[in-house]
Amino acid sequence: MTQHQPDPTETLILRGVYFDGQSSRDREAELQIRGEQASLKIMSGEPLPQRQESWPQRVLVIEPPLTRVRRVIRLPGGGRFETQDDAGVSLLESRTHRNWGLGRVRRIEASWGLTLGAVITLGLFVWGFLSFGLPALARSAAAATPRSVLASFDQAAIKTLDNGSFMGPTHLGKARQAQLQAEFATIGKWAGGNYPYRLLLRNGKPATSDGAGFAIGANAFALPNGTVVMTDQLVALSRNDRELMGVLAHETGHVTHRHALASVYQGLGLTLLGTAITGDLVSAGTFAAAVPTALLTNGYSRQAETQADESAAAYMLGQYHTTKPLRDLLARLELDDKNASEGDVKADVRVKDMLQTHPGTRQRLDHLRALEQAARK
Amino acid sequence: MSEPDHPLPNDRQADPRGRDAERLPEPGLVPGSAASAGTAQSVRTVEVGGTALQVQTYPVTFTGDAREYFRIWIVNAALSVVTLGGYTPWARIRTRQYFYGHTWVDGHNFDYVANPWALLRGYLIVAAFMLVYLIATRFPFKNSEYVVAAIAVLFVLVYPWLVRQSMRFLARTTVHRGISFRFLGSLGAAYLSYGLANIVALFSGGLGLPWALFMQRRFQVDGLAYGQARGHFRGDVGHFYLIALTAMGISIAAGVVFAALALGVFGLAGLFSWHPRARSDLSLGAMVGLVAAYLGLLLMSGVVREYMRAAMMRSVLNNVELGGVVRLGASFSPWMLAWISVSNYAAQLVSLGLLTPWAAVRRTKYVLEQVQVRAIVSLDSFSADTAGQESALGEAASELLDINLGF
Ligand SMILES: [Zn+2]
Repeated sequence: MTQHQPDPTETLILRGVYFDGQSSRDREAELQIRGEQASLKIMSGEPLPQRQESWPQRVLVIEPPLTRVRRVIRLPGGGRFETQDDAGVSLLESRTHRNWGLGRVRRIEASWGLTLGAVITLGLFVWGFLSFGLPALARSAAAATPRSVLASFDQAAIKTLDNGSFMGPTHLGKARQAQLQAEFATIGKWAGGNYPYRLLLRNGKPATSDGAGFAIGANAFALPNGTVVMTDQLVALSRNDRELMGVLAHETGHVTHRHALASVYQGLGLTLLGTAITGDLVSAGTFAAAVPTALLTNGYSRQAETQADESAAAYMLGQYHTTKPLRDLLARLELDDKNASEGDVKADVRVKDMLQTHPGTRQRLDHLRALEQAARK
Repeated sequence: MSEPDHPLPNDRQADPRGRDAERLPEPGLVPGSAASAGTAQSVRTVEVGGTALQVQTYPVTFTGDAREYFRIWIVNAALSVVTLGGYTPWARIRTRQYFYGHTWVDGHNFDYVANPWALLRGYLIVAAFMLVYLIATRFPFKNSEYVVAAIAVLFVLVYPWLVRQSMRFLARTTVHRGISFRFLGSLGAAYLSYGLANIVALFSGGLGLPWALFMQRRFQVDGLAYGQARGHFRGDVGHFYLIALTAMGISIAAGVVFAALALGVFGLAGLFSWHPRARSDLSLGAMVGLVAAYLGLLLMSGVVREYMRAAMMRSVLNNVELGGVVRLGASFSPWMLAWISVSNYAAQLVSLGLLTPWAAVRRTKYVLEQVQVRAIVSLDSFSADTAGQESALGEAASELLDINLGF
């Protein structure tokens, strides 16, 4: 309707059907808009075949357009005028500046090209938001979270984890425990951030865990408020304490950067966003949305892992002038082999790599070595 | 299905044919589309108490197009995402309007007239509850378990009220021939059919489920009104039990077949083999067999569930009466509809959701075009009734929390 300048004084005649809102009777009718005046002329039907009513045109309500759906103009007093004359109603809309936004939407919906454009815009927006917007939001939310929340989070998580199926009490001797605690205290001081760091030593393969894959095995992880858990199995896999301290420094890196909290917030945000959108897309869409959600949450953790590795490297370079102990332990963990060394780890390009929480071990080893070389120069 | 026992008001025996002949062809309608398809196709004369009645059958036509709806759907999705969900009410309304607007009876379509701002307000209230619930379940803050419990209990308590609200909203926002539907089911009936009946179904180990479903459908139909014409559900609970028994029989048979298949695969894969090399073959073969059996069971349970839904929908539609002068008839095959639904799911899965619009149009078209409206009065002789506005909260809540309200 924009190709020519319409003459606003020209009389617009729409032919359609009129319902008075009192009965389901349909009457052939004409809606005439002349300047600011709209009048309805009933063309057929008893009792008054030639009845006519007039209003100022601005009191008419034009329902927003939808491709190939009969147009509706609501009249004062509950009447409805319905017409297939979409061009005519569109002209009226552009003359009186109505339904501007949804009119645009209809124009996009009507064309494959514009629809494709909308989808590309959507893709870019989603990509941008998920890879920059949401992580940034989650990070600031994590940074702004009060300490009391962190503390209760740690308490609750430990309560769940100590139920017996994930891990059990440590089998390490008292002296060995004290030694590891003392070494960890140094890292805690170094890491700073005023967190109440504590090291929990646990057995990662307790007898109570009926073998069902729940047990965490050789592992170490950090909770938001500075609680770090390390298992006997990881201690057994190590050849010296420098290796273990590398791992613990990595975990304190997760604490100081508040990675755990940020990933929880991210999951929350994805869930909310997913719900908001799938309010419209039906169940299969929900399924499709769940897959990238899983992939992406793990993707965020990759960045977090690299950051934590950098913390570990900073500590190790300061203390031991090398990152080799951590690399050695990583290689053994990755290959599940007590005798494996760094060089045995192959670059991983399988789908499994995409699904892993930690970045590909090969990448991590290379990064740690690069950090060491950079420090040597 | 049977017209002769129709309760008929005496003053409604005017010959509908006479008025129909007087009706003018609609101006502006696309030639050959709904206008021609929507006119009455058959007139039957039946005898009631010595008076001849003419029953007119109006087919329902659906003129929606999958490719057209795809564009609306994807633009809806794009705008909803870009506005972080803010466009969702408009998206919801446009979707409904598209499906309503392409559903024709006797030359006129339906319209959905919800106020998007009211829907948005409802969505925001529900989203706030969801946010609190999510935070309380994921972050174990102090006393969070009480918050979770309070929200859960509140939801269970208000659920029947919510259903009634959303029925009212849905009815009021549905307009046909200038008159809106209404829902007049009482709060007591809502708590009986969606509260008590669900509890009975839960504690009777499923025995009460068909009864609960029957009560819910009856509540929905009996509460419905088009103008001054009240809905009436003529179905009986026996039919619901018959459908449930059929579905159960099929499930049991399918379960037996798949269990046998899985066992066979286990056996073949080397349960009887002791060669160490065969051990790995065993696990591989057994894995394949188990996955196949699992997929088969999933498919079968999907078919059974969809059959049950379809058969109940047909039963309900066949028993809807409006104002004593209109009845609906559904002639679709529940098995065909079950097949359409299950193959729709498969297509949606394979296409990562992109075939969702196609699936929706396909299913709607199949169902609607096998529904007939039979009337002994002209469809233009209904009068409106006046009532107040309904809250959009009920509808928004049911959309977000995915309460199944369909017939
Ligand atoms: Zn880590």
